[in-house]
Amino acid sequence: MTPEPAIADFDSAIAELETIVKTLEEGDLPLERSLALFERGVQLSRFCHAQLEAAERRVDILTEHGEVKPAPAGLGLDEEGGRSR
Amino acid sequence: MDDLFANPFEEDAPEAEPARPAPTRRAPERRIFSVGELTAAIRGTLESAFGDVWVEGELSNCRAWNSGHFYFTLKEDGAQIKAVMFRSAVRYLRFTPEDGLRVIARGRLGVYEPKGEYQIVCEHLEPHGLGALQLAFEQLKKRLQAEGLFDAARKRPLPRLPRRIGVVTSLDGAALRDIIKVLRRRHPNAHLVIAPARVQGEGAAAEIARGLRQLGRVEGVDVIIVGRGGGSVEDLQAFNEERVARAIAACPVPVISAVGHEVDVTIADFVADVRAATPSAAAEVVVAAREEFCARIDRLTDRLRGAMRTGLQQRRGRVHVLASRRGLAAWPARLALRGRHAAELAHELRSAVRRALARRDRTYRALRLRLETRDLRRQLAGMRARLATTDGRLAGSIQRVRHRSDARFRALAGRLENLSPLAVLARGYAVCWNADGTAVLRRATDVTPGAHVRVTLHEGELHCSVDRTTLNYDS
Repeated sequence: MTPEPAIADFDSAIAELETIVKTLEEGDLPLERSLALFERGVQLSRFCHAQLEAAERRVDILTEHGEVKPAPAGLGLDEEGGRSR
Repeated sequence: MDDLFANPFEEDAPEAEPARPAPTRRAPERRIFSVGELTAAIRGTLESAFGDVWVEGELSNCRAWNSGHFYFTLKEDGAQIKAVMFRSAVRYLRFTPEDGLRVIARGRLGVYEPKGEYQIVCEHLEPHGLGALQLAFEQLKKRLQAEGLFDAARKRPLPRLPRRIGVVTSLDGAALRDIIKVLRRRHPNAHLVIAPARVQGEGAAAEIARGLRQLGRVEGVDVIIVGRGGGSVEDLQAFNEERVARAIAACPVPVISAVGHEVDVTIADFVADVRAATPSAAAEVVVAAREEFCARIDRLTDRLRGAMRTGLQQRRGRVHVLASRRGLAAWPARLALRGRHAAELAHELRSAVRRALARRDRTYRALRLRLETRDLRRQLAGMRARLATTDGRLAGSIQRVRHRSDARFRALAGRLENLSPLAVLARGYAVCWNADGTAVLRRATDVTPGAHVRVTLHEGELHCSVDRTTLNYDS
C-alpha cells in the first residue's frame, strides 16, 4: 500500500473524489486498484463531511472593543432548541 | 438723491400707496439719517417683518466653508437672495445642497450692517418635490455609483463553508432571532459572532459601521450579515447612510445586506455583495452553498459506493458464470475428485498393465511348459514361431495399452489444468481458505479475529492471521 496522500483542502478533496468516482464508474480496473480507489474515495467523502460539519455550534458576541466573548445566557438565543455554547 | 432712494421702496410696495400721489407729497421736515442709523433702521424693519419666512427658489453659488457654515443664493428669473446656513443648522441637513436644486428654505432675514447686505439666515432647507431623505438617497446613490461601489465586478462570492458567520444587528431585534432560527434548523453547528448595534435612531449608522469594521477583523469570520427587521423608511435610514455604505465596501469579507423591507432598496443593499430581502433569507443564503455541497458529496459518495458495488457484482457475476460453466465454484472438491480419479486411473492403469503382463506371462509360461513337457521337436519350430509371434503381439499390446493410458492421462491432466483456478489467480484473484484448507471463505464473518487463514495466490500460499473483520464495502 502506498501511503495515503494528505488531503489539502475541501476543493481538492471534492475534485479528487469526482475523479475517483468517474474512474470507478468507467470500470475495467484491476480489483486491487478499484479497492484502493474506493478506500481513498471513502476517506475523501468523510473528510468533506467533516469539513461541512466542522464549525462548532456556538454564539459569540463582540464587545465594544471588538473582543470576542461567549454570548451571555438569557440573551434569548437559546430558545430555538440550540445551545448558545 | 431722495427720489432715487425712495423710488425702489415705492415700487416694492405699490399696494401700500395705491393712489400714488404726486412726488410733491413729502415729509414736511427733513430728517437726515446717518448711514449707521439708516442701516439699523432697515435692519430693525426687515428683521421684524421677516422674522420667520418660507421661500422657494433655486439653489446657486452653493459653497460650504471650512467653518461648517454653508452659503448659497436663492434665485429665480430676475431676482435673487443671498442666504447662509450656520453649522448648527447644517448638521440637520439630510441631503447635500447642490446648485440647480429647487428648495424651500425657512429662516429669518438678517442684515449684515458692515456691508449693507441682507440675507436669509436659513434654519431649514428641504428639496422641493422630493422628501429630503429621498433626495439624500438619490444623491448618495449617484455618488457611490459614480465611484464604482455598486459595480458587479466588486461583488465577492460568498464562502461555501463559512467558518464563522458575523452578524451586525440589534441584540433584541427580530432580525437576530430569525437568523438564529434558520441556522439552528439548517446548520446547527454554525458559529455566530454578533456585533451588537442599534439599527435605528441617532448613532445607529456609526454603530453599524463599527460592527462591520470589528467583525471584519475577527479571525474565522468570513461572511457578515448586516441588517434589521422591517420598518418605515425613517427606521431604515441608517442603512442609507454613507458611513454604513463605506464600511460595507471596505469590509474584508463578503457582506450580505438584510434589511427587512419589500419595496425600497437601501444604499447598503447596493453596496453589499449579496442582497437578501430579509434576515431569514440572508441566513438561508449563507447555508445554501453548504447544503449544496452536502448534497453534492452525498451524491458522489453514493456513486462511489454504487460504482464499487457494480464492479464487485460484475466480478462476482463473472466468477459465478465461470463457476457454473466449469464448476469452478466447487473446484476444490472437484480438484480432489479429479485428483482421486487420476490416482485411481493411474492405479488402474498400472494394475491393467500388470494384469496384462501377468496374463501374457502366464500364457508364456504355459506355452513354455507345454513346449518343455511335450518335447515335440517337430512342433518346436512351429511352437517357437508362434511364441515369437505371441511375444511380438504381447509387447505390442502392452505398448498400446501403455500409449492409450498415457494419452488419457495427459488429456485428463490437461482438463485439470483448464479447471485450475490458477488461471484466475494469475489475474490477481486470491482464494482464502480456513486454517486447514478445507473450506473457502466467502464472508469476512466466516472467521473471527485471531483465526488463521490460508490465502492461495498465483504463486504460493500465505498463512495469515486475521486482525479484524468488517463487512463494510457494501454497507
